[in-house]
Amino acid sequence: MLSPYIPMLTTIKSIVSENGVNDIKTYELVFKNKEDEEKFDYIPGQFAEISLIGKGECPIGIASSPTEKGSIKFTIKKMGTVTSAIHNCEVGDIIGVRGPLGNGWPIEELKGKNIIVIGGGFAFSTLRSLVYYMLHEDNRANFKDITVIYGNRNCSEILYQDDLMKWERMEDIDVALTIDCAEEGWDGRVGFVAPIVEAVSPSPENAVAIVCGPPIMIKTTEDVLDKLNFQPEQILESLEMRMKCGIGKCGRCNIGEKFVCIDGPVFSQAELRKMHGDR
Amino acid sequence: MKEKILKKDQVKQLHEDLSRYYSFYAPTKVKGNIVFKKITNPEDIELEYLNSKIPPKEILFPRMETLFSYKIDEKNIEIEPRTDLEEKILIFGVRPCDAYSFSLLETFFNFGQFKDDLFMKKKENTVVIGLACNTPRATCFCTSLDYNGHPHRKDDVDIFLTDLGENYLVNPISETGKAIIDKLAWLSEANNDDLQKAEELSKKAESLISTKLDLQHTAEILDPSFNHPLWKEVSENCLGCGTCTFLCPTCTCFDVVEDVDHYNNRGKRVRIWDTCQFCLYTLETSGHNPRNTKIERCRNRVLHKFNYYPKNYDLIGCVGCGRCIHLCPVNNDLREIIKKINAIKNENKKEEVVVA
Repeated sequence: MLSPYIPMLTTIKSIVSENGVNDIKTYELVFKNKEDEEKFDYIPGQFAEISLIGKGECPIGIASSPTEKGSIKFTIKKMGTVTSAIHNCEVGDIIGVRGPLGNGWPIEELKGKNIIVIGGGFAFSTLRSLVYYMLHEDNRANFKDITVIYGNRNCSEILYQDDLMKWERMEDIDVALTIDCAEEGWDGRVGFVAPIVEAVSPSPENAVAIVCGPPIMIKTTEDVLDKLNFQPEQILESLEMRMKCGIGKCGRCNIGEKFVCIDGPVFSQAELRKMHGDR
Repeated sequence: MKEKILKKDQVKQLHEDLSRYYSFYAPTKVKGNIVFKKITNPEDIELEYLNSKIPPKEILFPRMETLFSYKIDEKNIEIEPRTDLEEKILIFGVRPCDAYSFSLLETFFNFGQFKDDLFMKKKENTVVIGLACNTPRATCFCTSLDYNGHPHRKDDVDIFLTDLGENYLVNPISETGKAIIDKLAWLSEANNDDLQKAEELSKKAESLISTKLDLQHTAEILDPSFNHPLWKEVSENCLGCGTCTFLCPTCTCFDVVEDVDHYNNRGKRVRIWDTCQFCLYTLETSGHNPRNTKIERCRNRVLHKFNYYPKNYDLIGCVGCGRCIHLCPVNNDLREIIKKINAIKNENKKEEVVVA
């Protein structure tokens, strides 16, 4: 039995700074052992425990899509001990990865539906994974209309700008980018995510809305989706909580009897309403 | 297989014979407290005790345990998994409630997609020799629990001992237990008087447990009681010291930290006991804390054992050992909390009547 606490080792292949203040970077990792890469069989929405040996471990959502072979990507904000240490890493350094963990976006349930992806700020990483996955030529026919609504405080904070530019030019995806306040040179939308969702006004007909972002954005967006007649079962969210093990043993990420690490991190709004717990 | 008799002065012999094959753990006195330790000198074994202060879960789930070690060499890292998990362990003199906690912990650590290999391997290699509880504490309530808890419960051990005064009655329970007894050819045969005496002691021990709690409906009463004022009330005098959880035989929460030896470019990733009673336990890097006050933390402890455990694993997460009660520095009594919870049911009923 291989210990679930032992990370697989990867090497940093590339580091991309994602924002103006340089505190969010995307790390592209390549497994040292080819076998580990095969073992790391994931779906969009899952996460992994990223570790810097000697510093510690933290749970990070997977930003790459399983359709991007050869490497995996994690977008990491400089926040605490481990993430700050990772921010000091260079290409070629070794990063430990345990995963994939968590349930991920329910891909099978999303098939045949119109998908509305709504993101705010830094919480776009597993949404990038999902959009990338759905747009792949092998998968695109499985999904109907794809709409992406993505808001940020200002345009220097927008993650994955290359991907977004590519998606904006594509025929089979609608992208609405917004920033909180108007800026010189910005010809996209201006305003918070929730009113933009209201303006885009996606139909709840055969649709699923996937919402990730800061708590206040989630709350206001939920209200708008409710107004647009989305049912709680049609709204999916991904939760974050303090975690250590990521495999349902260390105890701290419970909301009621559910563990965010193994029962989540993806829950429908209907499930969340039924969950009594501290979060 | 027939019951045997182990004379009290033969415990030394038993230790000598079995410690050849097993790491022999038994209760012993350390600074006035009973704890389970690896025994090298059988004189140290202390069997005249009520129950150990630290539960024997510590042997299989230590306070501090290496998950793996590593060597750092320039930019290269070599991970070394644990190699010491094959140790044959024998735990001698375990009370029935603590013996059941091993079964409960096994259910937990073996649950779901990811198994805790460290615990499971050690459990697999462990033989448990139980010791009947003839004099339960005033805080004991094992007979109220869902596992047919009893001071003489024999189900979770390989061999079961009953203190008959001069001798121990030896009951082989599992196949492993029977095989061990077979090897101890010097044990004498038990007679009917011995069996009868054990039976009497069992009944007497049961009668000594004065607390009888009704736990049948506690889980369902807790379901709608998340925001009940009870939680404020029961957490009011709590110091947040964590004793109730650190010394609980069923608590399993842990933190993971690095133990780095920079001078030798080596290190270990270790897990250490943690508790939901500490506010840092759930504090997130952003500053947000889902369980910021004692109210949420005390509630989590009770709900985890009496509502989440039944939902997730179909058993109550408590063995009724009473450690959290008699070791609490401010006399918070879990039994009183349960009684208050059970009283909510009647409260709800009354409300229903009013509404009707």
